Amino acid sequence: MADALPASDRIWRSPSVIRMAGLAVAAAYAVFIVWVYVAQPRTLREVRGGVAASIGVYRIDAASFDEGLRYFRTDRFAEARRAFARADPAQRDARTQYYIAYAFLREGWGRVYADDALYRQAEVALQRAQAATSDGVVRVADPDLTLKTSDEMAEALARGLRGDASDLNPLSMLEKRP
Amino acid sequence: MTAEARGDVGPVWHEAFTLPLVFLSTALLGGLRIDAGGGLAFVRPPLFALVLAVMLIAALYRSGAFDPARLFHPRRTGLGKASGAVIVVALAAAAAQMMAALTPDEGLFALAFDLVWLVLFGNTLAARPNRGRLLSSLLVMFGAAFVVKFILLGALYAPDASVTKRVVMALVEGVSLGTLAYQPPGPATGYVTFATGLLFLAGVAALPRGPEPGAGDGLVRVVPGEVVAVPDPRLD
Repeated sequence: MADALPASDRIWRSPSVIRMAGLAVAAAYAVFIVWVYVAQPRTLREVRGGVAASIGVYRIDAASFDEGLRYFRTDRFAEARRAFARADPAQRDARTQYYIAYAFLREGWGRVYADDALYRQAEVALQRAQAATSDGVVRVADPDLTLKTSDEMAEALARGLRGDASDLNPLSMLEKRP
Repeated sequence: MTAEARGDVGPVWHEAFTLPLVFLSTALLGGLRIDAGGGLAFVRPPLFALVLAVMLIAALYRSGAFDPARLFHPRRTGLGKASGAVIVVALAAAAAQMMAALTPDEGLFALAFDLVWLVLFGNTLAARPNRGRLLSSLLVMFGAAFVVKFILLGALYAPDASVTKRVVMALVEGVSLGTLAYQPPGPATGYVTFATGLLFLAGVAALPRGPEPGAGDGLVRVVPGEVVAVPDPRLD
């Protein structure tokens, strides 16, 4: 009777095959559950994006990203961040998150002061960008940017958030915008 | 000759797919909290939920609803035992998350719930009910906890004055909540927990028990909680 079944059906009547498939499915599901509890996605879009990124099929919305870039280059940082957020709803793309961090940094940068709240938001976005890379370093080859790596930006943010005697240096007013 | 050896793969599918997926889904959804704005949070079970989960599994074992000897029977293949191990681990995770889901996350209410769970499970272990009675008892316990946490407390601490809140306040007229703080879960969390509770109970009811069909029966459970060895010539 079993011999009359097609080969593919016979495979799924083998207890060993069923058990191995069950173990594989359960293991994959368990890994997903652990990831969800560690990554703490806040929306279903983040869950979907995270799963897509983990299997290497996550893509950002290029049109929204380009739009964000246009806003960014004309110093409309709030609009730029909205467009970047639309481009990368799962917050899984290192380059987009880097630009979001940069938008916070440029908006928070002042010739004689740094806006701590915006700098902290920049730090959070930068951490997301670093987490989205395999080696923890983001490199962006954009001639419009002064800070081209996440290390440079992290240091700039740390300097901005630090309160010390260098804040009183009048020459700091001559510093170029990052 | 086991069912597996006879080519009856229904129970194998059940053990390999249905039970692990049911319990893992319970473990996933049991920690899900959805706030009023639709934001998700996945909460790990507190340590006390692990203690309660152990007591729950002990109660399931003593009632015969959960039979590890069946899952790790010496006649089972290595893969069969691995399947059994997955079921046990998934059941433990699901039980912990289920207890956490039915208990307030923090505050004095959490302590009160934990104490009540402790007494109820202690009482259940001492009473040694059979499988059917334990499942009925769990249904009542989980149902009562759900009603208190999501309907009564949820209504009492809801920011808006719903009908339920007005009814509850009328029933407990004269009682003040004082400074008893409680953060009610979002309404969607209640629906998820309700479905998760039913899923968990269905999984527990579907756990394999008794001797494997057709296997040499070295042990026969004759009274709930009592195990009597019966000589089986086929095993000699």
